[in-house]
Amino acid sequence: MPTRRCNSRSLFRRELRLVNELHGAPNVALRDDELQRIAEGLGRQPTVVELHAFDAQWSEHCSYKSSRHHLARLPTSGARVVLGPGEDAGALHLGTHAGERYAVVVAHESHNHPSQIVPFEGAATGIGGIVRDVLCMGAEVIAVADPLRFGRNAHALHVACGAVDGIGAYGNAIGVPNLAGDVYFNEGFDDNCLVNVVALGIVKEADLIHSFAPKGADGWSIVLVGKATDPSGFGGASFSSLTLDAQESEINKGAVQVPDPFLKNVLMRASYRVFELLRERKIAAGFKDLGAGGIMGCSAEITAHGGYGAEINLDAVNVAIDGMRPEILAVGETQERLMWVMPPDAAAEIVRIYNEDFSLPEVAYNARAVVIGRVTSERRYVLRYRGGVVMDVDIDFLTGKIRDELPYTESIRHVGAASELPAVDVETLFPQILAHRDVASREPLYRRYDAVVRGCTVLPRGAADAGVLAPIPGARLGVALAVAGNPRYGRIDAAYAAEHAVAESLRRVVAVGARPIGLTDCLNFGNPRKPDQYGNFVAAIEGLERAAMELDLPFVSGNVSLYNESADDLAVPASAIVACIGAIDDVAAVVTPGLKEAGSALLWVGSRELVLGGSVLAELLGMDGTLPEISYAAERAAVGIVHDAIGRGVLRSCRVVSDGGMLTALARLAFDAMLRGRTIGVEIDFGNPLCEAGGFICEVSDASQIDLTGALRIGQTVAGTQLVVNGIPFEIPNLYEIWSRPLAEVYP
Amino acid sequence: VSARIAVPVFPGTNSEDETVRLLRDCGGDAELVHWSHAQTLGSYDAYVLSGGFAYEDRIRAGAIAAHDRIMDYVIEGAQHGKLVFGICNGAQILLEAGLVPGTGPIRRPTAAFAKNAPEPHFVCRHVYLKLEIDPLRCAITAALPPLALVPAWAAHAEGRLAASTEHLDEIASGDHIAFVYAHADGRVDDAAVPNGSALRCAGLVNRAGNVLAIMPHPERDGWNFNHLDRAHGDDVLAPSGGAALFRSFVAAVS
Repeated sequence: MPTRRCNSRSLFRRELRLVNELHGAPNVALRDDELQRIAEGLGRQPTVVELHAFDAQWSEHCSYKSSRHHLARLPTSGARVVLGPGEDAGALHLGTHAGERYAVVVAHESHNHPSQIVPFEGAATGIGGIVRDVLCMGAEVIAVADPLRFGRNAHALHVACGAVDGIGAYGNAIGVPNLAGDVYFNEGFDDNCLVNVVALGIVKEADLIHSFAPKGADGWSIVLVGKATDPSGFGGASFSSLTLDAQESEINKGAVQVPDPFLKNVLMRASYRVFELLRERKIAAGFKDLGAGGIMGCSAEITAHGGYGAEINLDAVNVAIDGMRPEILAVGETQERLMWVMPPDAAAEIVRIYNEDFSLPEVAYNARAVVIGRVTSERRYVLRYRGGVVMDVDIDFLTGKIRDELPYTESIRHVGAASELPAVDVETLFPQILAHRDVASREPLYRRYDAVVRGCTVLPRGAADAGVLAPIPGARLGVALAVAGNPRYGRIDAAYAAEHAVAESLRRVVAVGARPIGLTDCLNFGNPRKPDQYGNFVAAIEGLERAAMELDLPFVSGNVSLYNESADDLAVPASAIVACIGAIDDVAAVVTPGLKEAGSALLWVGSRELVLGGSVLAELLGMDGTLPEISYAAERAAVGIVHDAIGRGVLRSCRVVSDGGMLTALARLAFDAMLRGRTIGVEIDFGNPLCEAGGFICEVSDASQIDLTGALRIGQTVAGTQLVVNGIPFEIPNLYEIWSRPLAEVYP
Repeated sequence: VSARIAVPVFPGTNSEDETVRLLRDCGGDAELVHWSHAQTLGSYDAYVLSGGFAYEDRIRAGAIAAHDRIMDYVIEGAQHGKLVFGICNGAQILLEAGLVPGTGPIRRPTAAFAKNAPEPHFVCRHVYLKLEIDPLRCAITAALPPLALVPAWAAHAEGRLAASTEHLDEIASGDHIAFVYAHADGRVDDAAVPNGSALRCAGLVNRAGNVLAIMPHPERDGWNFNHLDRAHGDDVLAPSGGAALFRSFVAAVS
């Protein structure tokens, strides 16, 4: 047997080398044991097309082979869950308007490796992909968000610029507002940035479209819609399942897709028209984004998950150039494509809508909708090309869930008794904290994003801790979105950082007056084949599970990005990035930005653990420290106090305590007042005003209305332009200058 | 029969829905007209060109769209005195079509909404439009008070009015600058201008006063829920703020 394995391996490798030499494509990422398993499963050697198909389908990117069994721990159900993980996006019940139940559709992904290599295109296609994931649920796309992690060296800053411009160029053109996001600059991302993307959609729950062929689909048409297939993005799925190697990045460029937001704009609007048609005629259908694995991956999953097989004719595919090899047609990841499964007569109608009413072929070269195959009852996956069969496999073997039980070492915990905060010179350090790259104003970055297209924006990006939309015309319902994931904590303790990401994203949504209803996550970690790096990944999932259970929130979608390593084989800082979705019954109740009046009481709501470890202060002082246990009882109590203050009508403004600590939160409340022409100062007394213990700073009109067991009165607002802390006066306009400038160096 | 307003959709338009919604909430009889139905445009009484990236802003923003069939109808309507209102990409198209400032031949623009400066990229920023002309100089602004301040969002990469010195003189002396950028308190200075626009121009009107082109979007600050400083007790769903300009337009159309 060893001899045979050796032979088959060398045969595959030789064939692959030939393919690669001919097409400049990256190597397949399948390992020898997987190649062996494929040959055994098929009872023969795979064809070149089949080899590439399995390479994509069994990649970490598509199969979650080393992460799925851990992810199964996360809570995914609850009263608000309309659709949990498993399809292209999840959905949460937002509320009822005019007798109709509405859901927020949410998807969350990474586009880390493409963005590191070609930042503009990589990040732009990240937005393009996540938007399709939401669109294909039958939803109108209402928002995107972009949690970003960049390094600090010169190249990393080039990546930081290109990625942001790509996100802006794409989102702005398709007309979807950028509602939330964050950015951290940390040396741990010098060689491997993180570009995570989130998208939200809105749909009547009865109109949700699933990512699989519905009942009775035998014989239905499979319709490919969108851009003409070209050789771009060949090998994308397996590419993102390999570590980046700087030497190979030139070769890998061929695996990155090319964005076309102009075509996407038209595709979205044409698809909205198709949704209307399906609703009017009550036609069932399946709709799915073409992502990893291209035509093959999408057609196999959309049919297999409905319990069917598929037969696809590659000659029917609309192409950008002639003469492409079948494996490129089958698994290439050309952007801006989607796939419908529907009855043949309906298929003919939507082909007309896309190609004639919305003139796709005139919008982009040979873009169109075309019937490329049919759903079959035999559970086989068959690809035809030039009269022959180039792939014929058991569809369940192809799409079935393979599993890698990889060994890992227990992540080392650094949680415990809080380290003593040293006595610090607030007068010197506070301005330094405000100018720190993780604290300074993000406006130079998000100013490049359209925050207000669609006219539904209630709190735009950057105005508050979370963005808020009123997504349904004529309805008072609001949806809030915030993201979190602190890499300074991730470097110290993967599990704590994950728990903290849940808690902080939740606090951000609460701070604008919303009720948290659900979560998504994107887990950005190192190499799963290195037990210590994999151990951090497993620990982070445990952290997410703990926090979500304690705070009673479900995860409805998510994504895993592994192999995020530096050139020195070090993992990026453990990055479980979490998005929290909040519901608002009446947007009139949203907490608007900035201090409102002199004479208000200022309260700190939440646990006041003395946190040094992982703080911006610790970094400035060059100190380490452990992280405190998260007290979920205190967390729940704090959320209750904020909601209660809103309910009683005494909350005038609110901000979470996050990077830069309590004093930064207060300064930002003062900045927002100043920017709106309100001259309001602050006077507080508090022992450790630079401490980053998570919680809320609340401006309340009447502190006697608040249960002060979970809150501490730290001072009051006053008339004037000063922020006075423990007797040390700062001029608010001066602090604003210090805070607002640093990121303009990165984003001029 | 009330006057009918068309909001034409080019490939790449992206602000059509909220534009129609605010026109309707302000009492207008507005509807989308998709590019594949351009031939119906002649039957409408007024046109609102909304924001977006028509034809991907190829060459220059608005340059291709100005030559689209849709614009045959809009240009003809404008020449016959129909009201034409362009916002952002719509303004860029009207300028490329030669309808504003309207001092040169049709489709031979003598000015441009050029790349923003000093920041040569897309800028999304809340601004105020300050009415620079006598309200009655332009039919679309006729219902606004003198020196009206209209809240709006600038959201564009190409919005800097640029022209030769002589032509800028002609634009200024001909009272073509309908709006300038201002602060919330009405002050006008360079800091209020998001894009380096010549003469701090935020909007242009043609000689006859029936074509208005503005770069910022009033419809994105057009309802109470859009305002960050709304007063408690306001009906959040009511049109307000930027809706003042839409109301004035609808009143002029009717």
